[in-house]
Amino acid sequence: MRPSLRTTLFLAPATAWLLCMLVLPLVVVVVFSFGERGGAGGYVPAFTFENYANLGARWAAFRNTLTLAPFGTLLCLLIAYPLAYYLAQKASPRWRTLLLILVIVPFWTSILIRSYAWIQILGGNGLPRLIGEFGFGRPRFINTPFAVMVGIVYGYLPLMVFPIYVALEKLDRRLLEASSDLGSPPWRTFLQVTLPLSLAGVATGSMLVFILLMGEFLIPQLLGGGKVFFIGNALVDLFLQSRNWPFGAALAATLVLVMLVTVTLYLRSLRRLSGGRDDVALM
Amino acid sequence: MRLYALAVYLFLYIPIGVIALFSFNAGRHAAQFSGFSLQWYGKTLANPFVVGAFKTSFTVAISSALLATLFGTLAAVALQGVRGRLRLLYDALVYVALMVPGIVIGIATLIALVTVFDTLNPFLATLTGPDNPFQLGLGKGSLIAAHGLFTMALVIIIVRARLQGMDRSLLEASADLGAPPMRSFLQITLPQIAPAVMAGFLLAFTFSFDDFIIAFFVAGSETTLPIYVFSSIRRGVTPEINVIGTLVMAASLISLITAQVIMRRRSH
Amino acid sequence: MTDNSGHISAKEFLERLESYRKGSISRRHFLGVTGLGLATSVLAGAMPGLASRARAQGNIGDRVVIATWPNYHDPADFEAFKAATGCAVDMNVFGSNEEMLAKLQAGGTGWDVVVATNYTITTYVGEGIIEEIDLSRLPNYDKSATDPRFAGPGIVDGKTYAIPRNVGTTGFCINTADFDGTTPTSWKEFWDLTKGDLSGRSIVHDYQLTAIGNALKYFGYSFNSVDPKELDDAEKLLIEAKPHLFAITSDYQPSMRSGDATMSMCWAGDATQLHRDMPEIAYILGKEGGEIWSDFFTIPASAPHKDAAYALIDFLLEPNMAAKEALYHGYATGDSRVDALLPAEMRESEILYPAADLLNALEFGAAVTMTNPQRAEILARFKSA
Repeated sequence: MRPSLRTTLFLAPATAWLLCMLVLPLVVVVVFSFGERGGAGGYVPAFTFENYANLGARWAAFRNTLTLAPFGTLLCLLIAYPLAYYLAQKASPRWRTLLLILVIVPFWTSILIRSYAWIQILGGNGLPRLIGEFGFGRPRFINTPFAVMVGIVYGYLPLMVFPIYVALEKLDRRLLEASSDLGSPPWRTFLQVTLPLSLAGVATGSMLVFILLMGEFLIPQLLGGGKVFFIGNALVDLFLQSRNWPFGAALAATLVLVMLVTVTLYLRSLRRLSGGRDDVALM
Repeated sequence: MRLYALAVYLFLYIPIGVIALFSFNAGRHAAQFSGFSLQWYGKTLANPFVVGAFKTSFTVAISSALLATLFGTLAAVALQGVRGRLRLLYDALVYVALMVPGIVIGIATLIALVTVFDTLNPFLATLTGPDNPFQLGLGKGSLIAAHGLFTMALVIIIVRARLQGMDRSLLEASADLGAPPMRSFLQITLPQIAPAVMAGFLLAFTFSFDDFIIAFFVAGSETTLPIYVFSSIRRGVTPEINVIGTLVMAASLISLITAQVIMRRRSH
Repeated sequence: MTDNSGHISAKEFLERLESYRKGSISRRHFLGVTGLGLATSVLAGAMPGLASRARAQGNIGDRVVIATWPNYHDPADFEAFKAATGCAVDMNVFGSNEEMLAKLQAGGTGWDVVVATNYTITTYVGEGIIEEIDLSRLPNYDKSATDPRFAGPGIVDGKTYAIPRNVGTTGFCINTADFDGTTPTSWKEFWDLTKGDLSGRSIVHDYQLTAIGNALKYFGYSFNSVDPKELDDAEKLLIEAKPHLFAITSDYQPSMRSGDATMSMCWAGDATQLHRDMPEIAYILGKEGGEIWSDFFTIPASAPHKDAAYALIDFLLEPNMAAKEALYHGYATGDSRVDALLPAEMRESEILYPAADLLNALEFGAAVTMTNPQRAEILARFKSA
């Protein structure tokens, strides 16, 4: 079927945009990733696999990202799930909308400023001083993986709460009642009924958080004091400090590839879980 | 359960409270609270760099959100009539646009644009004369284009979801009554998808207004508000950052509530 | 709410007035730093007849963009420039010379004035990024008043590409309140303390020149070494020290001020600013040596507003203005006319004018460090380890 003139006209600007700002840049990244670094930095055309062979030199960044991103996602999930459950099942309907809005509001404000708040709180004059006044010494929080984790959970919690809430809200209460009528204890009802039925929400939320964490730069930069390094930080470094564009391009291409594969696999299993439906709630 | 929810809300709002509280700090340093004052509001609003950065961010966010909403909505509507391989290809492109991390978009756009500019500029210089040649460079244009990419994909997804849930019987009735497609679109489709378009616009605006990482690479010599805030955080000496943060938060809160009110009115 | 009239706060003004009364600064200097002299000229500029003439002489446009360092300019001085010329100054700040070069290489058009450090100039010239300066357009630049040691790196193949702005050293600062009596005097002690008693409380810069250079000094190697074996030693030290660091950042002022950090690699001007507010913070030049540097004004070949660029540089070179800026950022200027205008406390500051034996051990950063791939890689591995 050939698209009509109207369809073509309507699609033209979006297509041009996608081609110029997505396809072209990604092609350039792939081309550059086979090039060589110029004497003063930048890019010199070449055809070499050396940049990909060198990826091992950034193994630490991959390792950090591939451990801290799933861990951060898990932490978000563990904190978000009970809240979503409360909002969907326990909170009074009168307050529900307000409570939901209160979850999103922080997400609508700049991540920079929210991370800055944690710099103030976790810095020596914040929480550590408070703890010190109670006579427990002065622990150090800022510039540690712990601070980065706090920033991550704080930054992405709303993204996790929402899909889970949507899944739990759809849950048929009669199922829960039936389960308890049959004499199964609440924890069993939860494990056997509630949890499986909310897995699609869990998967969506986890995917959203995971995607964002894989490309994270700001939170480790601000709360990790330059010591906690993600792939995003390695990329910024390669472009703005070492000026090794080809290596940076190879790293970027690898990151995108890893993400596309992970996320596609994730979406597949999600689809299987939700019984073939593909109405994945995005926001 | 209730207590747990309360604890999470405290976790969410204490940092915001801290930001707001310290914006009223009378002292010169952000670290210690030394009395209540509005002086930093005055100083911040009088700082030409803050005002300039705000203007840049606002211009870029409005332009990219308008373009992304317009083109994204058109594309979402058009995609309804597209099936087969073309549709699959398009879906894949939109999916990739949403999936690729901002940092990669920033870097990729930077090196692609620089390569294109380096090729075109000598040509443009011979065209427009040697004295004051017209040259392409990074700036507001590249910012709008790079932000618009992600937000346009977002608009396509949101509007499409709405279109799929739309009542088709009205549209069919209208066609049966002989209304031209354009009229059906304006009178039936558009009002139904309006809340989604509005939501898409707001998301697009917020994304662009808040974005740091893409701007960090493609802003050229422009300073957006997040870039300004980032460099102030690194220096971190005055409560000015708190003032900017509080104002930005207040503004997003107001726009969020406005959006809720509009959406609610539309849905009734 | 703008305090254009004063250019400095009322409190500062009173302090300056007090020191003027006490005779610690000259009248000319007092007028210069308080901006009274400037205010007078601004007022003159505001007279309709004068203003139009001034502008007719040089129609420099309404915008000029400067790429520079954090905490390096008093925003009020840019306001004064705008008042005098009608041209608004936009400022972009950078974290390091490496970042600046990266952005200029990456099609960095739009900047009119770039403030760059000595070791980058030859690379900028080689890459065709900056162009030769037309000295006739900078009447306020007096070559004879400038120490040739500091002006030298701005001259490549006999042509002047860069005009010196400020000079300084890179040492380390400590919060003496955290030490009982004995304070470190060498880079060896800096690193040993970092790995030992001050574990978790010290900061290293996050760009290659000084982070690696000062690690090389631990072994007594040259600050600029690109010898692979020596660099290996430096890398080992950096990686060993990393778990003990409070942060890897070039923005150490907030952490030093809050007391989170006790010791940090530090530029002299930051040390001046810190010491001014917190007298317990001291500045130390490692006795093995380290970096001495000068910063320059340069004009990129792609600058869209060249007339405004010359006007701004000339404006900032004017001795009273340069002295006012020096008071703000806390660096020496290398210009004898300006130094003469500085208050005694600055002229006698050991932070700005270190003892000769310490000074003699210092090295200017070498251009090769900037382009050496091993140094770039070491820093990246250090940060990502």
